[in-house]
Amino acid sequence: MSELVLDTKAGLRKGGARGAEVVPGNPSQSRLLQALRYTDPTLQMPPTGKLPDQVIADFEQWIAAGAPDPRVDPVTASASPAPLKGMSIELGRKWWAFQPVREIAAPKVKNATWPRAKIDSFLLAALENKGLETSPRADPRTLIQRVYIDLTGLRPTYEEVDAFAKDSGPEAYERLIGRLLASSHYGEAWGRHWLDVARYGEDNPTSDATNPPYVYAWRYRDWVIKAINDDMPYDRFVKLQLSADLMPGVKRDDFRALGYLGAAPAYHKEPRLSAEVLDGISTDEWDERVDALGRGLLGITVACARCHDHKFDPITQKDYYSLAGVFASTTRAERPLLDIDSKTETRFLWVEQRLFDLSVLSSVLSDKNPTNPEWAARRLVGVKAEVQQLLAEMEALKNRYPALAEHAERMVEKRRFLVSQDPFMNSVYDAALYVNGADPFLTEMDYRPGQARDLPVLFHGNVASPGGPAPRGFLTVLSQGSDNVFRTGSGRLELGEKIFTDAAPLTARVIVNRVWGWHFGQPLVGTPSDFGTQGEKPSNSELLDDLAARFISHGRSLKWLHREIMFSAAYQQSSRPRSDGEKADQANTLLWRMNPRRLDIEAYRDSILQAAGTLNEALYGPSIDLDTSGANRRTVYGRVSRRQLNMMLKLYDFPDAMQTSPGRDLTTTSLQQLFVMNSSFLQEQAVALAKIVEKEPDDSARIRGLYRRILARDPNLKEIDLGLSYLAHATLAQFAQALLSTNEVIAWR
Amino acid sequence: MTKELLAKEMSRRSWVQSLCGGFGSIGLLGMLGQEQARAATLGHYVGPRYPTKAKHVIFLFLSGGPSQIDMFDPKPTIAKYAGQRPDAVSNFRTERQTGGLMPSPFKFQKHGQSGTEVSELLPEIASVIDDVCVIRSMYTFNPAHTPSKNLIHSGVILANRPTMGAWISYGLGTENQNLPGFVVLSAGQDSMLGGALWRSGFLPSEYGGVALDHSDPEPDKMIRYLRNKQLDKESQRRQLDLIQSLNRQDLDSFGPDAFLDGRIKAMESAYRLQFEAQEVFDVRKEPQSIREEYGDNNYGNSCLLARRLVENGVRYIHVYPDSDNKLAGKNGVPSSWDDHREINKNYRGRCPEMDRAAGTLIRDLKRRGLLDETLVVWGGEFGRTPVSEGDGRDHDPYGYTMWMAGGGVKPGIVYGATDEFGFKAVENRVSIHDLHATILYLLGVDHQKLTYRYAGRDFRLTDVFGEVVKDIIA
Repeated sequence: MSELVLDTKAGLRKGGARGAEVVPGNPSQSRLLQALRYTDPTLQMPPTGKLPDQVIADFEQWIAAGAPDPRVDPVTASASPAPLKGMSIELGRKWWAFQPVREIAAPKVKNATWPRAKIDSFLLAALENKGLETSPRADPRTLIQRVYIDLTGLRPTYEEVDAFAKDSGPEAYERLIGRLLASSHYGEAWGRHWLDVARYGEDNPTSDATNPPYVYAWRYRDWVIKAINDDMPYDRFVKLQLSADLMPGVKRDDFRALGYLGAAPAYHKEPRLSAEVLDGISTDEWDERVDALGRGLLGITVACARCHDHKFDPITQKDYYSLAGVFASTTRAERPLLDIDSKTETRFLWVEQRLFDLSVLSSVLSDKNPTNPEWAARRLVGVKAEVQQLLAEMEALKNRYPALAEHAERMVEKRRFLVSQDPFMNSVYDAALYVNGADPFLTEMDYRPGQARDLPVLFHGNVASPGGPAPRGFLTVLSQGSDNVFRTGSGRLELGEKIFTDAAPLTARVIVNRVWGWHFGQPLVGTPSDFGTQGEKPSNSELLDDLAARFISHGRSLKWLHREIMFSAAYQQSSRPRSDGEKADQANTLLWRMNPRRLDIEAYRDSILQAAGTLNEALYGPSIDLDTSGANRRTVYGRVSRRQLNMMLKLYDFPDAMQTSPGRDLTTTSLQQLFVMNSSFLQEQAVALAKIVEKEPDDSARIRGLYRRILARDPNLKEIDLGLSYLAHATLAQFAQALLSTNEVIAWR
Repeated sequence: MTKELLAKEMSRRSWVQSLCGGFGSIGLLGMLGQEQARAATLGHYVGPRYPTKAKHVIFLFLSGGPSQIDMFDPKPTIAKYAGQRPDAVSNFRTERQTGGLMPSPFKFQKHGQSGTEVSELLPEIASVIDDVCVIRSMYTFNPAHTPSKNLIHSGVILANRPTMGAWISYGLGTENQNLPGFVVLSAGQDSMLGGALWRSGFLPSEYGGVALDHSDPEPDKMIRYLRNKQLDKESQRRQLDLIQSLNRQDLDSFGPDAFLDGRIKAMESAYRLQFEAQEVFDVRKEPQSIREEYGDNNYGNSCLLARRLVENGVRYIHVYPDSDNKLAGKNGVPSSWDDHREINKNYRGRCPEMDRAAGTLIRDLKRRGLLDETLVVWGGEFGRTPVSEGDGRDHDPYGYTMWMAGGGVKPGIVYGATDEFGFKAVENRVSIHDLHATILYLLGVDHQKLTYRYAGRDFRLTDVFGEVVKDIIA
């Protein structure tokens, strides 16, 4: 039956080598049924065992009924299905996500009093269309908690909740939002959202010699927090991360933004491996950058086109290598924080990397038991001489730039004595990367500052099968006009420009959709990193387009976008379940209520520390180990390891920093609850809480004190009774821990 | 899976579509019913279910690259060319520079009914060799540790995909809701391992491996947060009762909510896990005779614990070599199977513990009637060269040996062959993707159907490769 194809209607009708398998209307003539019945020992399907009689009877009935087959075959359908082909560039230019965005007049709604913001009219129109009602405004206590957690990742105090409960009118609400947007905690919470997309991490999955941790990566994290707090326009925010060093008039401090590329995942490049293998590893690194940029910034799965033209989206393999070439022309480097002339700096960046590489080569060649001692000795002499010469060159910089000379020396010590406070940043500069395989036994990386490298298209993604050239440039389908080639340096500057000119509509849709998702717990496009044909369509495309258009016309200000969303009636709705809503729209796609959610690990840990009065609210600084007792800084300052992620972060669904995260998948597991019941972290906070309230006159007052600190509300009578009877057998700290363990602490409504 | 869910699932894919998905997917209904009787949580695999027997996998991973030439793949020809580099071996690029052919210093002998040849280093494995399927024709793509380790654990050389254990626990779910589905055992923290080799990648993080360092057999030293150091069982129950009554009150006042309800349940199962794990994870509960049979040492404890986990429904257990430095130093040999030098001395020092534990594991599983449903896999990320690197051997990705036992694998056979020097697999070659496809098949899973939609396409453990090695399936 080798020619038998059942995937298409035509194939099913035609049958296989033995003729028709299905004769419509005639079960006894249908070989398919014969096979299912297992009567002929040479013709039995499925091979894994006979189907239940009822199922076989269903088949019989279906064939007797004329074997109706509702499938519509593709136009080219034949017995052998055509291979999958991607969308053409011409068709692609018509794809919804690539169309210009425009402001759209708010649709007419019946309940004209409900909308408070323009987005409400779009949402309400869709709800009314489905005959669904909106939910009432959340009660003030819930609402202020919602807004606090959303914008700052912390809960309000009891007093703040109380004040808002007394005056929660529109003006008080707008004042509240304004105050929270001005708080520096806002940047800590929303900076962290961005760091998920930027796959921020401070080391690499292996501790191999060529792949050292990024000890200065925290400076990028701090830059992100500050930029978000400053409401830096989104276009500038992204462009700086791609090309701060190439943009005119950028302050040195903003070079920290280059950590987006400078602390990207990297792989071990063992010098004993062949040039071909190391070439392959380099292409894997470029692939990661293409993927992070494609999905993270543009919402397109460009990396699917590495081995062949994209099977679904209008992205050619050549497009892929045009983008990859930008990253092949960009090299990671530790750049000094201080202002420095560019000639000296470029030379320094090359020398520091070369010195580090030489130190790796040197230890390979110093192997105690070399197979080829003569060769090793000879090469070692050369390596040592080059080290001495480069060190001498750096020594000469000592008067002008002592930090540089010192940093260069650290490279020879295999970076062992670097500390995160050194005045450097994990960054990039324009230098093409090649692999030097001249010595068949020892492969070296060859960095060529100031040069750019155009890659060939690699057949099947294989470095051993280069094809035609793919000049550095932008994705064809997104390019306006015919010229999408990059000509300046690595092309990073032009790439940043193109993202906000030619691709402006797509880029705006993608970020607006992400921000929407972070506010509502559910984005308008369910696949926030894939706006291609395999992704989902927007649940309300006019809303998305209008909001994206207005985002652009408001200077791509995220704070504008927050206000626009949070002032809406939709955002302020109650999140309580309603049976009519569940029935008509269980997934709440239309937003008939606010989505009830769970805190992410950052807000969960930080709000517990805050309740216990142990939160250290200092801004910025080198990363801390979250497991250290008393290390009570906000979670965003915890070290993010790609190698061994902190246990608590891992338990609570922190994303894998090896790749851009489309959004967190929040799980509920029993291992999480072990942490809640038994970790010293929770126990320490409970003890601190007990200390705060023990001076109260009696147990009822202590219970009330704990409710106020932990849940920012007063307990009801039943809760006081439960507390009192528990305290008859237990300590105050144990009660505090019980309260910290309740659902209400981790729920976000 | 409830009837409603099933109905939903089936209406989502009309029955004509399931016809296209393969005939087996209709048969799935019945299979699910049976599985339901045992399973606490169901997996996400919706492809056809093969009528195979394996339900659990124990992967004895020997990181560093154990030498085929010195254990399972005798090559007398090497002796004839000792110290030379005939043309047939001179073209293989390995990680480091190598010298001439180096004969194995260990003697080989045929064992059991099957007559499979095993070196003198491994008497215990030799004693159960009739239950073992030796694959002499494994090959991989990269001569460096990290990429090759990633490949054998996750199907790609990069550390950015879900690992096999995560795929399997995602696909098949767990049989014991109180225990994780994927457990990683090692004594001591080998810095080479990191978390990359048991990551869940883009799969939900609950499917990632739970890594336990059991250089101390005390369960609450092994499992973080397992024991409440302040409350006894009754006091803790009282505390939990308070938490749960507050939680139920809250749920009642808010209204039906899957998260709130799920967390109430998860808290109960965590409470039970504390006590269940004290039992399950404590190898000291075993009779002394059993502990001695496995070898009363870290690696023996790992293998014994793996068996206990299988008995308690853990789906996938990955066992790493003992890398606790204190104990590894006992025999004066490094713990990793990465013997670039002194292979004779190192193997004589290191093999006995591994051999005893691995051999006993098979014998013990069989004794308990668990070998049929438990697939034991043994091997490293690559093998070692027949040519020398001083008095050691370099990495050999071109051809090497792994073995499998139980779980529906043909017992007592040797499959595939390397060339005359043992450098390259030449007959019935088995790639890592073939190995993965075969392991999944033995678990009843079609490797092409165990997929996860991510970044715009359906990913699978075997990427776009992999053929089930039907010849080794019983």
